Amino acid sequence: MNIAPPDTLAFAADRVSKTYPGHIALAEVSLNIPVGHVVGLIGRNGAGKTTLLHLAAGLVLPTSGTCHTLGRRSDELDSPELTRLGLVMQEGRFIEWMTVAQHLDFTASFYAHWDRDLQRRLIDTLEVPLQRKVAELSTGDRQKVGILLGVCHRPALLLLDEPMSSLDPIARAHMLDVLLELLRDDGCTVIISSHLLDDVEKVVDWIIALDGGRITENSALDELQESFAEWTVTSPAGTLPIRFTESFILTQQSRDRQARLTVRTREPDAAERFAAKHRVEITSRPLNLGEMFPLLINRTKDAP
Amino acid sequence: MPPLLVINLHNGVPAYRQIMDQLKLQIATGVLPAGTEMASTRSLSAELKLNPMTISKAYGLLERDGVLERRRGQTLVVRERSTGAVETNKLTHLRQHLAEAATMTSQLGISRSEALKIFRDTLDSANP
Repeated sequence: MNIAPPDTLAFAADRVSKTYPGHIALAEVSLNIPVGHVVGLIGRNGAGKTTLLHLAAGLVLPTSGTCHTLGRRSDELDSPELTRLGLVMQEGRFIEWMTVAQHLDFTASFYAHWDRDLQRRLIDTLEVPLQRKVAELSTGDRQKVGILLGVCHRPALLLLDEPMSSLDPIARAHMLDVLLELLRDDGCTVIISSHLLDDVEKVVDWIIALDGGRITENSALDELQESFAEWTVTSPAGTLPIRFTESFILTQQSRDRQARLTVRTREPDAAERFAAKHRVEITSRPLNLGEMFPLLINRTKDAP
Repeated sequence: MPPLLVINLHNGVPAYRQIMDQLKLQIATGVLPAGTEMASTRSLSAELKLNPMTISKAYGLLERDGVLERRRGQTLVVRERSTGAVETNKLTHLRQHLAEAATMTSQLGISRSEALKIFRDTLDSANP
């Protein structure tokens, strides 16, 4: 992702650190997100995902380093960029005394191109209670209102921080449909942080993994899927070595004649050569995002 | 009608790869004959509920591989291929499936002759 010229970057961070008293939220993070990508931001709680989204939205400024959002430095962001940003937080801040309908009208009035048709469809599919006061909404309904307020102006850059954590599976499916519609119609850029990796896997094409405020992975999802695998290794004759030493092996468990390895390699004939060298049979299975997660944040040692 | 594709998003196989494999198989089996117009990136992405970039990637690679070609305007169609190429494609598919069976045979400790007999029997029962 480092080849695109700057004007085609939706977000860029150059050696960005963000520190709070006694706490480093992000440390020397550099990344470029080209326009049109859907980036999954993954990591454990406290990894720095929310901080990165807040920096992209211009809600906070970096302690050191520079951020560019939609081509503009984050300390110079103004209406032309801010009105093309959509931000959905896990727990949105609203004007609590308004009804949902009033709040939608209020927010819509700030934008020249509020999509009433999209708003109507979302209200229907997500079953949003228009006449209820925001203060009286359930957590799930608050999240739906947050989504409506964040997407109906059809932003060029949509920043989603755990937008679906309180939604039921049906509402989540609708939410993903909306994202796909925005991608198809507008070619917008999306950065989504979520622990719901099954949902993330459905829409993202790029993965950025954070751990302890540092980037531990920054790759296309396709590329990850094509390089990670689980090998079941069987030795038809005799026992296996106690430990294989190939550098592409990330984890291994062995028992007499069988071993289970997780590997990361882009070499198409890696399994073949490994099988010939060790005189073993290999059944290879790709890993899904949930299975890759501990490997992407380099926390395999913590795994049971 | 667009081709029927079933994409599993959680089996670890990249979605673009699944689209390519399934379209290639449908072309090899004649479900999609030469000249068939492919669904647009937009409509296929809507139907499969996939990121449009995934569809473009699959189409782009199939075009590069000479499986699809772009006709007047932007329409992508299944390319006319020589009988030889079609046959090679079919054999490649069969080989891929048999390679898995071969590994399984060896892991289960089944002898070659026994495995060949099972394959023959399976062929017989599939096409009596």
